[in-house]
Amino acid sequence: MSATSSVVDRLRAHIGTPGPPISAVVEAGHLKRFTEAIGDSYPRWLTEAPPTFLVALAPVSAHLPEAEEYGQGWLNGGNRFEYLEPVKVGDTITAIGKVVDVYEKTGASGSLLFIIFETEYFNGHGRLVARLRGTAIRR
Amino acid sequence: MNLQPGEELPDLIKHPTTRQLAQYAGAQGDFYEIHYDQDFARGVGLPGVILHGLLKAAFLGQLVTDWLGERGTLKSFEVSYRGVDVPGKPYRCRGRVSSVTGLHAELEIWGEDPDGNRTTVGTAVVEMAVGLRPTL
Repeated sequence: MSATSSVVDRLRAHIGTPGPPISAVVEAGHLKRFTEAIGDSYPRWLTEAPPTFLVALAPVSAHLPEAEEYGQGWLNGGNRFEYLEPVKVGDTITAIGKVVDVYEKTGASGSLLFIIFETEYFNGHGRLVARLRGTAIRR
Repeated sequence: MNLQPGEELPDLIKHPTTRQLAQYAGAQGDFYEIHYDQDFARGVGLPGVILHGLLKAAFLGQLVTDWLGERGTLKSFEVSYRGVDVPGKPYRCRGRVSSVTGLHAELEIWGEDPDGNRTTVGTAVVEMAVGLRPTL
């Protein structure tokens, strides 16, 4: 078995196992820094999270040290955002993420490792407010 | 208001700078060096520091919410990053309505570099507010 295939196997062992919950409060100052950074001055975002803010509260992807044995760097392949309820200043959000798939693709320019993450975000009432997906690529 | 398939969203043109990448790294909490350290970025085979994929997603989210305003809600959106983009070049976000079903509309959204390459492509679903349905 090659070194890279054993990395894939070890990563696949994480599939479906939820990581530890991460909780954070949506703070007005953080929202302001975030909307300034993306350059979006829509007034509603003074009190409500703009579409991609949840990634700043808790990342979609978990840190998987063994993935760094593969290739030389990370790329983001894509993201999906699904919204069920608005997220507002003062809300305590709890994020629970997991790996949903791991696979390797070999193309003309070499091999790539794909890790698909899915994170669910819950508000203080325990209601699901958003579901995010991320495709992390090692190259 | 009456959405029609084919309707184009007003373009959103962003002018990302290295300063903005550092600002975004701090605001998101993503300190991967390819977004602010030129030598590190070149060392992993990139042309230099590149935009965060999630910053481009934020631009495309703004494209949709600027156009939608208070007329409805963004229900979902997804994007694929097909190419890298560097600061110092304008990033043009575009979109059009691809289908309308009842209160829901599906949009095609994408981001272009100055050569017209679609380096980010995706779709979004919006739900229009009931009170704003067109009256006949």
